[in-house]
Amino acid sequence: MTARRGPRPEPPSGPARETSADGLRPHLPILLLLCASGALGLTAVLSFAPAVPESQITNRPIEVDADGYVSSEACQACHPAEYESWHGSFHRTMTQVATPDTVRADFDAVRVEDTHGEPMVLSRQGDEFWAEFNDPGWEGAADARPRIKRQVVMITGSHHQNIYWYATGHDRGLNILPAAYLLSEQQWVPRSAVVLHPPGQSLAMLDGHWNAICIACHTTQGKTAFDTPYRSEPFGSQTIDTTVAEFGIGCESCHGPGQAHVEANRNPLRRYGFHLDQPQDGERTGDPTIVLPTRLDPQRSSQVCGQCHSVWEFYDQADERIANAAGLPYRPGDELRDTRFVAQPTVDRTSPAMTAFIETDPDFVRGSFWPDGMIRVSGREYNGLLDSPCFSQATHPDRTLSCFSCHEMHKPGEDTRSVADWADTHQVSTDAQGDQACLQCHEPMADQVTAHTRHGADSTGSRCYNCHMPYTSYGLLKTIRSHTVSSPSATESVTLGRPNACNLCHLDKTVAWTADRLDDWYGTPAPALDDDDRRVAAGPLWLLRGDAGLRAITAQAMGWSPAQGTSGTSWMTPYLAEALGDPYEAVRFIAARSLRSLPGYATLSYDFVAPEAERTDIAVRLMQAWRADPRSRQRREPELLVDRDGLPRIDTMRRLFDQRDRRGLFLRE
Amino acid sequence: MLGFLLLGLGLELLHGFKVGVYLDVQNETRRLMWTLAHAHGALLGLVHIAFALSLPSLPSLDALGRARISWCLIGATVLLPGGFFAGGLRVYGGDPGLGIVLAPIGGTSLLIAVFLAARASGSAETPRGTGGRRD
Repeated sequence: MTARRGPRPEPPSGPARETSADGLRPHLPILLLLCASGALGLTAVLSFAPAVPESQITNRPIEVDADGYVSSEACQACHPAEYESWHGSFHRTMTQVATPDTVRADFDAVRVEDTHGEPMVLSRQGDEFWAEFNDPGWEGAADARPRIKRQVVMITGSHHQNIYWYATGHDRGLNILPAAYLLSEQQWVPRSAVVLHPPGQSLAMLDGHWNAICIACHTTQGKTAFDTPYRSEPFGSQTIDTTVAEFGIGCESCHGPGQAHVEANRNPLRRYGFHLDQPQDGERTGDPTIVLPTRLDPQRSSQVCGQCHSVWEFYDQADERIANAAGLPYRPGDELRDTRFVAQPTVDRTSPAMTAFIETDPDFVRGSFWPDGMIRVSGREYNGLLDSPCFSQATHPDRTLSCFSCHEMHKPGEDTRSVADWADTHQVSTDAQGDQACLQCHEPMADQVTAHTRHGADSTGSRCYNCHMPYTSYGLLKTIRSHTVSSPSATESVTLGRPNACNLCHLDKTVAWTADRLDDWYGTPAPALDDDDRRVAAGPLWLLRGDAGLRAITAQAMGWSPAQGTSGTSWMTPYLAEALGDPYEAVRFIAARSLRSLPGYATLSYDFVAPEAERTDIAVRLMQAWRADPRSRQRREPELLVDRDGLPRIDTMRRLFDQRDRRGLFLRE
Repeated sequence: MLGFLLLGLGLELLHGFKVGVYLDVQNETRRLMWTLAHAHGALLGLVHIAFALSLPSLPSLDALGRARISWCLIGATVLLPGGFFAGGLRVYGGDPGLGIVLAPIGGTSLLIAVFLAARASGSAETPRGTGGRRD
C-alpha cells in the first residue's frame, strides 16, 4: 500500500519568499560545494568494488591468521625501513594471487603453441585470467587428454619467470599452467622449455602439486591440509583445505611467528626499554619474543635460509602428515635437522636415509648434485655452504662463513642502491660484492693478491669469487655461482664433468693448460688427461662432448664478459650456432643469449622453441655468414678446432659430438 | 609563529635537496614528527592571534584569567611542537625519540587553555543569552 500524496501546497509568495531566497544566496557556493563533494563521494562509493573476503574464496589456498602468525603487514608500523626493503624483494613476490596488479604476462587472446600437443589459449575476463588447454593433470591415455578451461589464480616467481597456477575446480587444489612466461624476454613458452630436462620426457604436472610441494618454500607457514596423503588416492576424492599465513616469504618465515611480539610491544614502556638498552659489552639483549637471525650463531642463522635453500625431505611419512596438518614444524632458531633430512651427499651418501631416498628416486642425488656431492642447482645454496671449509671447518663464530656474511635481508640505510637494484643483485651487501667478502677473514691476502692469483691486481682473475665460487650451478635458464667455496682443479673437470674456474674464463685454453698452471703455481696434482683434454680447448670440448648441464654452463660462460675479454669471441660463433640446435631447450636458450652478446649478433632473431627446421635454418645461415666474415679467421690455434686457414675442423667436431654424454639429465632447480 | 614558519621553510629545503636524514624510508618517523612540529607550531601561532583578537569579546576575563590562558597557550606552543621536533631528532624505527613525552604535556596545556577560554566565553555570553542583565 502506497501513501498517496495530496496536492502540493502553493509556495509562499510576496516578501517572505524573497527573504528566504535572499537568505540562501550567500550560502549558495558552500551548498554547491557540499553537493559536489557529496556527488563525488557517492560516485566513489558506487564505483568501488569491494574485494571478496579471503575466507569466502573457495577455489584456491587462502591466507589465514593462525598459530601466532600475524602477517608482514603487522610489522610495517614499527619497522618501516625493514618492511620497505622486504616489500621490494623477490621473497615477497615468490607467490602472489593473480590480479591485474600482479600478472605481468599478456593474457589478451594469446595462443601458446605446443603445450601437450595443442595450443593453450589465454584470455582475460574483467579482472580474471583464464586459460584453455589440454589438461596437464590428466593421467589417462595421452590421446584422451581432455581440453579444459580454467581460471588462473596464482603466480610463482617474479624475478626471471612467472609460473602460473590454475584452479583445478576441486577444493583448493591447484595445478601448473602448461606454459610459463619469461619476464626479460616477455615471451610465453611451454613449461617444459624452462626446465633443463631430457627432451621427450614429459614433466610431471599433477593436480595438487602446488598444494603438496611448492607450498613449503613459496609461502609462509603453509598447511597442505590433504585429508589423506597426497596421491594416496585419486585427487578428486581427496579433501583439500590448503591455507597459508602469507603468500610469499613473509617476515615471519625468518623471524618466526610474530603475534606474541606484536602484543608485547603494544606497551610503549617495553619498547623504549629495548630502545634505550645500552649494555656495557655492546651486545644488546634483544627482544625474546621474536627471532633475529643475525643474532643467532652462524650455523643456526644459515639454517633460517636453509629451510628453503636446501635439498631436503621429510624423514618419513609421519613427519609429512604432521606438516600437512600443522605446517612445517621448523621455526627460526631451531636445529633444522631435528625435523627434516637435509641431503649432503659429500658425507651421507651411504646413510640409511639417503639410501632409502635413492631407492625410491634413483635421480635424487644426480638431479641436484655433481658426482662428488657438490650442489649443482640454484636455490639450494645452503647445501653449498655446508660443504664450504669456511663454514664446516671454522672454529670461531666470528670467523665462520654464513649466509649473512655476504647477503642481507634488509637494505641498510647507508646503501645508496635503490631497493630494486639491491633486490636484483641477490641482496648481496655492498661490502661483499668484491674481494672484501673474503677479506673479512682472509685479511693477509689483501697484500698479496697478485702473488696468490698470478694475475694482475685488476684482472678478473684476481677476484676471489671468480676462482673460488665459479659459475657452476644451474637454474632459471642461467648459471649462478657455486656456493661451495672451493679451489679450482683440472681433476674436477676430468673426473666429475664439472667445469673448473680457470677454463670458465680461459675457454680457449685446454684443460691440460690449466692442469699445468695449477701444478706450477699451487702444486695441485695434475690428473690423467686424455688426448682431447690436451688438444682441444675447454670451451669447444665441453660444448661438444659434455652432458646437457655442462653444455648449458659452457654456453653461458661464452656470454660472460670476463670470459669474452680473456678468451676472445671471434671463434665462438660456430659452437654457439651448433648449440642453437641442441636437443635441450634450456641449452638452446642460453646459447642464443650468449650469441646475442657477441659483437654483431645483438639483433639475432631466433626462437628457442620454434620448430626444428626453423632453428636449423638460422644456425646454418649463421655459420655461412661467419665463414664469409674475415674476422672469423682471426684465431687459428688448433685447440680451437680450426685449421691453418682458420676454417673449422668439422671432422674433429663431429667426432667429439659423437662422443657426447647423452645420458638424460633433469636438473631439479 | 615565525620560528615554526621558518621550520616549514627548513623542511621544504630538506625536500628540495632530497636530504636522506629526512626523506629516506628509515627516517619516515622523523619526517612525520617534524611535519607535525611544523604544523602544530604554525597553527598554535594562529591560535595565539585568534585568542588575542577575541579578548575584546571576553570582558568577563580578568587579567589573571588572561595570564593563565596565555601561559597555557605558550606552554602548548613550546611543548607540543617542541616535543614532536625533539621526538624526531632520534628515532627508533617506528617509534620517536624520548622527546615525544613533551608533546602530550603540551597537548594537556592546550586543553586547559581551551577550557579556560571557553568558560570565560560562556560566562561572557550568559547575561545576553538569558536576558539576566536588566537595567
